[in-house]
Amino acid sequence: MSTRSRLLLCVAGLGALHLGVACAGFFAPYDPTAQDREHPYAPPMPLHFVDARGGFHLLPFFYAQELQAGTFDQYEENRSRAIPVEFFVSGAPYHVLGVFPLRIHLLGGGDVQMYLLGSDGYGRDLLSRILFGGQVSLLAGLIGAGLTLSIGLCIGTVAGFWGGWKDEVLMRVAELFLALPWIYLLFAMRAFLPLTVPPLKAFLLVVIVIAAVGWARPARMVRGIVLSAKERDFVRSARGFGASDAYLLRRHIVPETASVVLTQAAILVPQFVLAEMTLSFLGLGVPEPVASWGNMLSSLQHYNVLVSYWWMYLPALAMVPFFLGYLLLESLLQGSYATSKIE
Amino acid sequence: MTRFLLRRIAHAAFLLFGVSVLAFSFTTFAPGNYFDDMRLNPQISAERLTALRADYQLDRPMVVRYLRWARSVLHGDLGLSFAYNTAVGPLLWTRARNTLLLTGTATVLAWMLALPLGVWSAEKPGRPADVALSWATAVLLIIPDLTLALGLLVLAVRSGWLPTGGLVSVGFDGFSAAYRVRDVAWHMVLPVTVLVASALPVLLRHVRAAVAEALEAPFLRAAEGHGISRGRLLYRYVLPAAAYPLIALFGFSLGTLLSASLLVEVVMSWPGLGPFLLEAILARDLYVVIGGVLLSTLFLVAGNFVADLLLFWVDPRIRAEASRR
Amino acid sequence: MEPIIRVEDLVKRHARRGLWRRVADFTAVDSISFSILPGTTLALVGESGSGKSSLALCLAGLERVTSGRIWFEGRDLAALGEKELRAVRPRIQLVFQDPANSLNPRWTVEEIVVEPLLVQNRVSRREGDARAAQALERVGLAAEYLDRRPRDLSGGQRQRVAIARALILEPKLLILDEVLSALDCSIQAQIANLLVEMQRAYGLAYLFITHDLRMAAHLADEIAVMSEGKIVEQGAAEKILQGPRRSELRSLVGASPLKPETLGEVRQR
Repeated sequence: MSTRSRLLLCVAGLGALHLGVACAGFFAPYDPTAQDREHPYAPPMPLHFVDARGGFHLLPFFYAQELQAGTFDQYEENRSRAIPVEFFVSGAPYHVLGVFPLRIHLLGGGDVQMYLLGSDGYGRDLLSRILFGGQVSLLAGLIGAGLTLSIGLCIGTVAGFWGGWKDEVLMRVAELFLALPWIYLLFAMRAFLPLTVPPLKAFLLVVIVIAAVGWARPARMVRGIVLSAKERDFVRSARGFGASDAYLLRRHIVPETASVVLTQAAILVPQFVLAEMTLSFLGLGVPEPVASWGNMLSSLQHYNVLVSYWWMYLPALAMVPFFLGYLLLESLLQGSYATSKIE
Repeated sequence: MTRFLLRRIAHAAFLLFGVSVLAFSFTTFAPGNYFDDMRLNPQISAERLTALRADYQLDRPMVVRYLRWARSVLHGDLGLSFAYNTAVGPLLWTRARNTLLLTGTATVLAWMLALPLGVWSAEKPGRPADVALSWATAVLLIIPDLTLALGLLVLAVRSGWLPTGGLVSVGFDGFSAAYRVRDVAWHMVLPVTVLVASALPVLLRHVRAAVAEALEAPFLRAAEGHGISRGRLLYRYVLPAAAYPLIALFGFSLGTLLSASLLVEVVMSWPGLGPFLLEAILARDLYVVIGGVLLSTLFLVAGNFVADLLLFWVDPRIRAEASRR
Repeated sequence: MEPIIRVEDLVKRHARRGLWRRVADFTAVDSISFSILPGTTLALVGESGSGKSSLALCLAGLERVTSGRIWFEGRDLAALGEKELRAVRPRIQLVFQDPANSLNPRWTVEEIVVEPLLVQNRVSRREGDARAAQALERVGLAAEYLDRRPRDLSGGQRQRVAIARALILEPKLLILDEVLSALDCSIQAQIANLLVEMQRAYGLAYLFITHDLRMAAHLADEIAVMSEGKIVEQGAAEKILQGPRRSELRSLVGASPLKPETLGEVRQR
């Protein structure tokens, strides 16, 4: 398969994953904040195709889980009633892109809670929370990467194209930022901003902090490209026709940076998603009740959760297919740029 | 040679100075400080708070505070911790020692694995074992360290094989010296595994790439033609040629000795710099945070410096240029 | 006849910045004077590092001159500001040595050739397409090359594209900086002949910069020999070629695979 088709396949796969998360409302059976105090820490429900009497059903079904009398986290299945999994049900309302209200969900359990991946301490459905949490974490990563790359592109271009004292100053500052251990800088920056803020503000704060930490490397790389592009004869020729600086930048120089910017994007997005997860895990990121992959994992810091409720670990795995996709994308991009350079 | 050294040291000093100024600026312009929580406590009067702030000199202008802090650094104190009411330096140092134990072991292990594996893999790529190695590396690369750390922890807890946190077991003081060593080592298994697993894929990739490129060099063919044995070829000719990028990588490994394990320490409750700094951050213990950031920056800068020194020693071109100036 | 361009005492110094101490400035062009009559070719011959390219960049307005004057169309180019220079630029064009470098590899031939017109705001996009096809035709390339990219073309074809682009603004003076050096021997002759054709058809003046004396012999009316930033010899082509005095020229003569007698067979006008 040619590199180009592999690239397209990879992009399509990543796109599908992102689409799935973007349509969290549809794919999630329930509202992520809907609590059910009667079913805390319910384990994931197995889906069956063969019922108690040995009959085979085409569509899967499940049994309601009830708390065993006298316990607060032991469940048993109520086999007296087989509840079929319903498709395309009407459920809790959600908004697509925050604007269009819809009520249709892919899966549902009728009047009984269906915990495909279990529930957390407040009885909230883990599957729904993972999907909605993905929106928060991925968005943080994407916006953060976008911001960082924009800043890096601007600074790198200014430093590389105009040089002189601007270049010196900017690159010294970049060096400072690069000398700081990334993770400590992240924490320190986040820490010295207000700690208890409403979720939206916290989200923005997290994104800004992440972006502010990561601009130095892309800036340096862009600067390198701009420096060498500036000396290319086709840029000189254009100047020879009377082209202005703005034209040169727009038509010749900035397009040269595309390869670096794209590969950096593929590297930075997963890193930034991870940064958000880490911050939220440690309580410095997006707070409850908004779900994010990070803060869903913070309950694992409690020993009893670690021991008894293994499904609370699942959000940590949710990131893996995305990581895979982005890593693949990055190596494919590197490969395609390397081959196109051989002229 | 000395001029080169002096220039690099001056550069490093500039970086540290810049970082400390940056850190100080952050904290000055940030809303909130250590005493915010106390303000909510009705039993502490406003005058008491003001007196406390004056005690800790939080009301002085930034430049004054910076200078006093700089002086304190020269004494080795690195300022005062609000929470512990003692000098920051010694506090950081005890914790840093634990962190270094962890990361030092992990770094040594990772390099000891990466070098031979990388060389072996670059020699004849495409062997089934090599392909398997590539896949294993890719899998490790894909799993973020948070996931890995938590995952191993869950496994450890459910299987009961390994201790799930901390540096030592209960009753440590009563152990014999040999048993103590064994106890600490036992506690180190999980965190070190996670650290090695996160570092290994990247190291391996770089070693393999560097060795593969060195293997392509024409001078190697000539050496082969002379009948030099494979082993000697590898270690006397190939590795030195591949050393250049690897030395930079090594410097980076050294540099991240203090910062790489932050998350792992928190997850596994290892009493290192990580959890300590986190606690200080949440409590807004100003000088601890600045001290911690500076300490890890020092390591990063020192790591790069060592790498530069090694490169200088290894690459005759740099030496020639430096002596020419 | 008035020369189309007259250079007077041109000096170009590169300031070199050491970090802690001042390093001596490097003088690339050391007080050079010459002139070129319209429709003729002045060949500037010298080894690498003799300052030829710096001179070319100064004349094309791509580098600022340290001191001296460049008289072109009655004005001193060295004294003009950027805006006034922009008006003059179309009439002096520079063609570079390596077309792999001077043509943007991501652009199509059409975009490349039309660029000068668009930059100078002379045409609309549609008109530009027609002019591009014309320009290609002039240099002997079929219109089908318009959609190709430089990497699909051979070295000689790329250089033709570069020449087409330079000619599209209808310049009076063309500065050719080692334009044949990157080409294969057989192609060199083709492009050289193309240049001669263009000169005859459009009355262009050429400043032909080269280290290859044979090529200079083929194309030049006058030759100036440059060494270490200065012109060491200058005069009509036959005179220079038949009496090589200085060692540089001797070594250049020796370097090209020509017998001295052949040099006498300078092209017949």
